[in-house]
Amino acid sequence: MNRFIDHIENTFKGADNSHDAYLYKREVLDSMTERAKEVARSGLSDEKVIADLIKDEFSDLDAGFTGYKKKKLRSKLLKYALPIGIIAFVILTLAAYFITSGVTGAWGKTWLIIVGGVFALIIFCFILLIAKLCSMRRVFHPIARVLLVICTILISVFAFLFLHIMVPTELFVWPTLLGGVILALAGDLIFAFGTKQKLRTISFFFYMPAITALLYVMLAANGAVTWNGGWPIVLVGLAVDFAYIIYIIMSNMKYFTYKQEVEE
Amino acid sequence: MMNRRLDAELWDKMHYLFRDFNDRMVHVELNYDFIPDIEALRTVLICAFEKVPVLHSRFVDKKLWTHWEVMPYNIDDVFTVSHPDNVEDAVEEFLTQYIAPTEDIQMKVALFIKDGKSTLCMVENHMCMDGGDLKLFLQELCENYSRYVSEGISPVSFRTGSRSYADVYSGFSKTEAGVARRLFKNINERDNHRFPLTEDNIRDRSFIARKKFSEETLDKLKVKGKELGATINELLLASYFYSVYELAGYPESDKVMISNAIDLRRHMDSVNDKGFTNHTSWMQCAIPERGKDIFETVKYVVESSNRFKKDRFMGLYGLPLLNFGYSFMPHAVSEEIIKIGYSNPLMAMSNIGILNGQHYALCGKEPADAFMSGAVKYKPFVLLTATTYKKVITLSMCVRGNDEDKEIVKRFFELMEKNINTITG
Repeated sequence: MNRFIDHIENTFKGADNSHDAYLYKREVLDSMTERAKEVARSGLSDEKVIADLIKDEFSDLDAGFTGYKKKKLRSKLLKYALPIGIIAFVILTLAAYFITSGVTGAWGKTWLIIVGGVFALIIFCFILLIAKLCSMRRVFHPIARVLLVICTILISVFAFLFLHIMVPTELFVWPTLLGGVILALAGDLIFAFGTKQKLRTISFFFYMPAITALLYVMLAANGAVTWNGGWPIVLVGLAVDFAYIIYIIMSNMKYFTYKQEVEE
Repeated sequence: MMNRRLDAELWDKMHYLFRDFNDRMVHVELNYDFIPDIEALRTVLICAFEKVPVLHSRFVDKKLWTHWEVMPYNIDDVFTVSHPDNVEDAVEEFLTQYIAPTEDIQMKVALFIKDGKSTLCMVENHMCMDGGDLKLFLQELCENYSRYVSEGISPVSFRTGSRSYADVYSGFSKTEAGVARRLFKNINERDNHRFPLTEDNIRDRSFIARKKFSEETLDKLKVKGKELGATINELLLASYFYSVYELAGYPESDKVMISNAIDLRRHMDSVNDKGFTNHTSWMQCAIPERGKDIFETVKYVVESSNRFKKDRFMGLYGLPLLNFGYSFMPHAVSEEIIKIGYSNPLMAMSNIGILNGQHYALCGKEPADAFMSGAVKYKPFVLLTATTYKKVITLSMCVRGNDEDKEIVKRFFELMEKNINTITG
């Protein structure tokens, strides 16, 4: 035990007198003692070897302390800030709903505030879940992609409801659902490239024409472009694909044209 | 409490896939003229296991993904000491055992003692490390033992670090690494020529057949190699080709292929900061016909092997494709798809190379004899392993077969001897 305490005191250069540092040192000591017992259970009886083996495992205590502080902060956030934040958000949403409804008397429309609040909470939870899934094995990443699509659909559904209720004309309403699909595809693409998913390039080739085609329908339905004159927008997607192919070829050219220096 | 997990690396998964072709055990035998300090050996082994946790882990196949789960162990399950009457039989029985990847330990060690001499044997799951790294592991084990016994230094100096297949690119420039990472092409061809073993049978048992060639033979091979412009490995390979033509009775005009194991560490800048793992691939050596005599066979082998040697990326073809296959699909699906494209060589050779006695010396005392061999292959696959210790070449073949197969392998070694003698004149 004393060997481990000496080791901790000698190697933990970042030691300050804070309570956190004390707790960290105590945690390390417990872990070292536990590991020593574990190794002894494996059949090792030489106390000096056990001590050296364990000390070698716990050699970088400064880096460990940095990680410990981050972990502690994260757990504090999850334990206190998250529930308090959610409760505060719910109260604020309800307050906004009642105040707005009371002042305007538009009870038939203000329920959108509640829907928006619920959707925002769901999206927030999904984002936390997506972040967690991204830190896990790649096999879980498709689930994160599905959740991201659900988030974008929720946003577009809210936009649809908002426009449907708040805007007097029906003109811009239903194409917002198409906008949701565009947002979902774009979001998935950003996720795929951001997390370096396999087959992301293939996704890009399929998504770009789909996005521009939906954009064309959306704009034409809104009257922003004519049905007859707006179709070149679809070609933009294909042109982007083509440009991306050229970019891939150019950036890989040095590898395809590489000539080996023959070793004799 | 949840056990610690380790990632299953590309080669771990590949060797797991090889379960249909071999038992994945790598074998080591070191014969000493003395009895080492058993308690010290236990201590060093525990330290080695603690430093290389994959050795006390079980492989978990969840179908969607795979990983290693580090398990508690007791050294008595790893290391056994016995005093058998017949050491040879005890060694054979120990070395031909099978450790399932689902077991809690992936390496077993035994010390057989008789008449003041000892034989240290080791079997290890190939999924954890290949012959190249096992040689280094043994070296570190022996060095740690010596320092511990003679100087009292704790035996904790074992290599640790990454086990990733991608470390093979560490010795390349950025452009070269870029090229190597794009070698998706599988350059290995299928060859249906088989080593003439009997059909599979439920009563088949694993055995290790060995044949030693004297120091004099090695010296002669060196001289003849210089004359013919061939390496010792190429001369052995040529003899392998010629012998198998004779043994199996292939038509002389047939093109035959034998895959040769190559150590991919040649591409790495250093292995000192890397963990113990696999870095071995195949180089397919093909000869267009048997040749009118063994010397023509040697010429064909040298030509074939030179084509590969000139390739900066020797052995790296197909690796990115394997990595791609394993990285985005569920494990079970990846396996099935890789099985379609992968053809395990029916005949192969692995030259583990020179075993340096000083590396395996315990407190300065070198082993009297040392031997290593690859996995026990399941019929119709065969692997000829070559090791050289104190200028004595040992050829071995580990087969799961019957007495008839033993005779066939024995006959093969006789033909090898005859052909090597023809080469050396």
